[in-house]
Amino acid sequence: MGEDGGLVQPAPPGSAVDGVPVARVARPGSVSEASQVLAAAAADGLAVAFVGGASKLGLGNPPERADLVVSTERLDQVLEHAAGDLVVRVQGGARLADLQAALAPAGQWLALDPPEPGATVGGVVAANASGPRRLRYGTVRDLIIGITVVLADGTVARAGGKVVKNVAGYDLAKLFCGSLGTLGLVAEATFRLHPLPAAAAVVTLEVDTPERVGAAVAPLLRSTLEPSAVELAWPDRQLPGRLTVVFEGIQPGVEAQAAACAEQLGRVGTAVVAGPGETDAALDSLGVLPFEKADVGVKVTCPPAELPAVLADLRSGPLAWAGPVSAHAGTGVLWMASDASALAERIAEARERLAACGGSLAVVKAPPELKRAVDAWGPAGDALGLMRRVKERFDPDRRLSPGRFVGGI
Amino acid sequence: MTEQTGQGPEPAHERASATQVGARGPEGLPDEVGAEPGQADRATAGAGRHEAGVAVLPAFDDHHPPAQELIDDCVHCGFCLPTCPTYVLWGEEMDSPRGRIYLMEIGRQGEPLNDEMVRHFDLCLGCMACVTACPSGVQYGKLIEATRQQVERRYPRSRRDRAFRAFVFRLFPYPRRLRVLRGPLRLYQRSRLGALARKAGLLDRLPRRMTAMERLLPTLGRLEPVPEVTPAAGPRRRRVGMLTGCVQRVFFPEVNTATARVLAADGCEVVAPATQGCCGALSLHAGREAEAQAFARAAIETFEAAGVDQVVVNAAGCGSAMKEYGHLLRDDPAFAERAAAFSDRVRDLSELLVELGPVAERHSLPVKVAWHDACHLGHAQGIRAQPRQALGAIPGLEVREIAEAEICCGSAGIYNLVEPEPAAELGDRKAANILATGADLLVTSNPGCLMQLRNALERRGERLAMAHVAEVLDAAVRGADPRTLLDRR
Amino acid sequence: MDRQALIRRLEEIVGPQGVISERNQLRTYECDGLANFRVIPSVVVLPETAGQARDTVRACAEAGVPFVARGSGTGLSGGALPVSDGVLIVLARMRRVLEVDLDNQRAVVEPGVLNLQVTKEVAGDGFYYAPDPSSQQICSIGGNVAENSGGAHCLKYGFTTNHVTGLEVVLPDGELVHLGGGKAPDPPGYDLLGAFVGSEGTLGITTKITLRLLRKPEAVRTLMAAFDGTDQAGDAVSSIIGAGIVPAAIEMMDALAMEAAEAAVHVHYPEGAGAVLIVELDGPEAECEHQFDEVERLCREAGSTTIQIAESDDQRALFWKGRKSAFAAVGRISPDYYVQDGVIPRTALPEVLRRITELADERGLRVANVFHAGDGNLHPLVLYDGEVEGQEERAEELAAEILFTCLEHGGSITGEHGVGFDKKQYLPRQFSAADLDAMQLVRCAFDPEGRSNPGKVFPTPRLCGERPGPRRVHPAEQAGLAEVF
Repeated sequence: MGEDGGLVQPAPPGSAVDGVPVARVARPGSVSEASQVLAAAAADGLAVAFVGGASKLGLGNPPERADLVVSTERLDQVLEHAAGDLVVRVQGGARLADLQAALAPAGQWLALDPPEPGATVGGVVAANASGPRRLRYGTVRDLIIGITVVLADGTVARAGGKVVKNVAGYDLAKLFCGSLGTLGLVAEATFRLHPLPAAAAVVTLEVDTPERVGAAVAPLLRSTLEPSAVELAWPDRQLPGRLTVVFEGIQPGVEAQAAACAEQLGRVGTAVVAGPGETDAALDSLGVLPFEKADVGVKVTCPPAELPAVLADLRSGPLAWAGPVSAHAGTGVLWMASDASALAERIAEARERLAACGGSLAVVKAPPELKRAVDAWGPAGDALGLMRRVKERFDPDRRLSPGRFVGGI
Repeated sequence: MTEQTGQGPEPAHERASATQVGARGPEGLPDEVGAEPGQADRATAGAGRHEAGVAVLPAFDDHHPPAQELIDDCVHCGFCLPTCPTYVLWGEEMDSPRGRIYLMEIGRQGEPLNDEMVRHFDLCLGCMACVTACPSGVQYGKLIEATRQQVERRYPRSRRDRAFRAFVFRLFPYPRRLRVLRGPLRLYQRSRLGALARKAGLLDRLPRRMTAMERLLPTLGRLEPVPEVTPAAGPRRRRVGMLTGCVQRVFFPEVNTATARVLAADGCEVVAPATQGCCGALSLHAGREAEAQAFARAAIETFEAAGVDQVVVNAAGCGSAMKEYGHLLRDDPAFAERAAAFSDRVRDLSELLVELGPVAERHSLPVKVAWHDACHLGHAQGIRAQPRQALGAIPGLEVREIAEAEICCGSAGIYNLVEPEPAAELGDRKAANILATGADLLVTSNPGCLMQLRNALERRGERLAMAHVAEVLDAAVRGADPRTLLDRR
Repeated sequence: MDRQALIRRLEEIVGPQGVISERNQLRTYECDGLANFRVIPSVVVLPETAGQARDTVRACAEAGVPFVARGSGTGLSGGALPVSDGVLIVLARMRRVLEVDLDNQRAVVEPGVLNLQVTKEVAGDGFYYAPDPSSQQICSIGGNVAENSGGAHCLKYGFTTNHVTGLEVVLPDGELVHLGGGKAPDPPGYDLLGAFVGSEGTLGITTKITLRLLRKPEAVRTLMAAFDGTDQAGDAVSSIIGAGIVPAAIEMMDALAMEAAEAAVHVHYPEGAGAVLIVELDGPEAECEHQFDEVERLCREAGSTTIQIAESDDQRALFWKGRKSAFAAVGRISPDYYVQDGVIPRTALPEVLRRITELADERGLRVANVFHAGDGNLHPLVLYDGEVEGQEERAEELAAEILFTCLEHGGSITGEHGVGFDKKQYLPRQFSAADLDAMQLVRCAFDPEGRSNPGKVFPTPRLCGERPGPRRVHPAEQAGLAEVF
């Protein structure tokens, strides 16, 4: 490569992107360097994959080809934290944990709690990663207010800005959320922040059937209580699962809400307000995904009111798919661990059954060959043609993680 | 409103856009003055009718065109749209206050007064809900009145339209003529001829406006006139004149007698001059300026002669019109001041009762009542609190609010006669909202509304007891059995 | 296809009562809420169903004719300004609430449904639709989607884009697609829904919208705090935010704005107040109470002279009525005015307000200020008298200068009203050519022929490059009027 300013190096042996070996790596230290790298890659027709903390490489289908990894490890600065405006501008390669640590002294945080350790801000944006507190704060798209991207040809483009309220021009930031590196590199992002809650309270309930989950969660969502998270953890079908409701805010507020919640859940089973030590432990283990030790992990989505029925159907219906499960019960997201053969046998029918209620099933962890066989994403709806046209505009030569996204994009 | 340019802000740019996208280049719009006959009929959802195929240019003459200063108050914000009955029905700009003001403006600027423009002015109910909603204080009432006057004077209506309107205005403002009809109408009703004719489908053969009129007739009882003078019960606090009205006097005489009794009970000497005629409301609201002015002068003279402190009105449309006499007669040096002074002394019944404060005891009337704000009371006169207060002071009486209270029932003067289709749709909507309150009794303060609503309820196969607010207050003062109110009509 | 043929085709689709072609009637549609710009459309169409809307767009595609979508016509940036030989597609008759699903907290509505209508529909069950622009009693959901409308409560609750989870869209070529997951979260694929919301009608027309509903909070507390001036009020806002409190809304009005609102609504603002803050907190009772006391204390510490606390729903409604009527009410204290819309970082508020006063004084004009103090979205109302020679031009200049000041302080040229026609000339001041080109990539994917609301948002017409087949040089390109993009 000629004009990369020496930024492109051979990759360490064994480097791969989701099983696809890759020969070169670049580690730009600034947006203009990233631009140089991408322009050079374009000139040489190289297929490019973006890597931050390497926590999301298993998402989506394996790319058709990967010639160059652009790593954001040197784009790790928190550029600007305007505490008085509750806004932060940060480079894509900064680790989310580091960002939170930088914001904490001002009593603020970026309201995202995805469970993957080591995730970078850019990766979180590109993967639309989220955690339990999405119930209250929304996902990346609800928190991002500005973005700087580097496109396939090296062009640097900005959208949004530094202010929370802004409707000038198209909202490209949203387009990049969840685009998994197929439209460009997320070099910088600006987010709106929230105050760090001063106190927390946790209420737990044992649930022995999916119906019980529904009986507990539905009235909770209809009430005036405002939980930060409503999480279901159900590792073993033979044993009861546990519903954890988290309240965060000021002390008198969370106490009152926890008490009211316990009373409400008490009509369904034995609800317990956690004591101080247990509260911390509960918060620490909140949102842990159930497939750390498994080969296969899937993400199921459905309308939240359907979640109990979906769970019952998966476990006790014809699919008899009984892997360990955790779920954001208030939002309609369910994670399940499985193995290769179970997945291969069931995935088609599961997707069909889910489609009936408007849900979906994505494979988020699996060996690459398995994903090639079953397609990590499933059907993408009638806007797929439009999505292809968007991809064609942004990446006409189809070099940014080709084949990784829905519909083979 | 200030206009920057006529056809477009940057014609060259728009031309470029036009060529760019493969559209034809910009052409002047074809001259639409004098649309093809029949096209106006179909063009919008507003009730079609036979058009004159005429365009009058200039749209307005110099005698009180819709005033530029009033038009300029409109900032085009659109807050009036959701409260305008015709916009609620049809969702098109031309049948909204904002759109009508726009038509007035472009009429002033040189567009012709053609069939379409007139249609949209005609379709306005004159309910003035827009006046209530407008944050900029646009005096739409004055604008539509001025516009209607221009239309009546200068636009040649179709023969049929003219004939019907002539018929309406030769009949309704003349209580004696209405009285002449009473006998035959009572016979017609008691003989069930009407019901038979309806069953046989004969009535539907009539022009739809005549059918509409037939349907609106209330059941007629005996006619008791109001005494010329009703003395105050107890010490006399006021001497008030009472407008007996036209339709009210002939078709709802019991409302007038109840009104006199209630006023007397609260200490008023009530003078109801027998020679009084029409107050001119229907004419005024229809833009028949000279006719309205004649009625107004006569009314002013009659009540001046009666020597009263105030004039009380129990029909919302009439009260609203009388409060405008000052504006109506502003050009007449002989009457301008007298009219303004007169208007200041006009009161709606509930307005006066609250102003005076009650004297007579109100006995218990355990009835659930739905109170219907007549547009010319709530919007045009801004009187909403007083009727509720007067009713609320009756022990045991529960006042229930009707949803979409600000939207007209469709009566609107002669509107339900000249535009029966939209009137019927609005009546249906109001009827549904009234029934949803679960009330036993519908109470309002306008004979037009009463007839329109009864008709609308009947169309749904429902009957609901109805009363004028005067009758309810009268029943409370007399300690009457609530069934006298509930078991009627 | 000539005009008459197009009219006949459209009448086949929607019926004759849905097509307007007579000049006077067309003229009532020549502008939206921004009456400064007027263009008479060639035809106006009022579809009543999604199928009719789609067929209308397809007819426009077949005729090669541009179209502009309009809801209630209350936008303030000229987004619904017609194109002179285009079709104006009015969605006001598509106004049904199709579905309410409280278990999933969703409502599905047609684009002509009024914003407030959604809340009215679900209020009885204790829910509401959060984005509340001041024109909410008349503005349409379709319009809200186009503009990504906000409102006073968006500080805490976000904008339209945070409350739309599904869209049925007619693309400019007449294809019907569905964006977003509707009731299910995280649909696979690109967030095209996020790109569509706020695209101001340039990417297509939405015919069905899935909205997120929120449960009405347990408690609401509202106060109105008067201050000697906007500086002190601004200090109060800073200390409230600094205390980690996120109110549902913080609105500020200055003395002129109060004067106008008082004339319209009779709120009884305290005499002599230089600025007033309306602060509203909502949420669970215990939290709300505690934080409200804190807010009251912080306002007093910042120098508030009078604090009125709303004791009833009616009183709260009155506080808000005053604020929401302020724009239109300004018509009572000035013959003419411009409503400007700009955003700055909240911390820059005092300085920017000072600068606005300076700029106004330089031009001998008055500016009334109403704004969402919590998120820095300003609405300076530039007052002028069009009858006085030169005042209108000076007012336009001042309005533009205010925008540039916002940009200088790191803000935006529009917080809620959109770019539309009015501000497209300023977009290049906020974004570079590369930025605008990147946005155009999206536009070209949706609307390669540039027929959906052309002439809005982006300053120079841009063609969308190659179409399949041999490349032809476009007449506009040849004439130097456009660039191939």
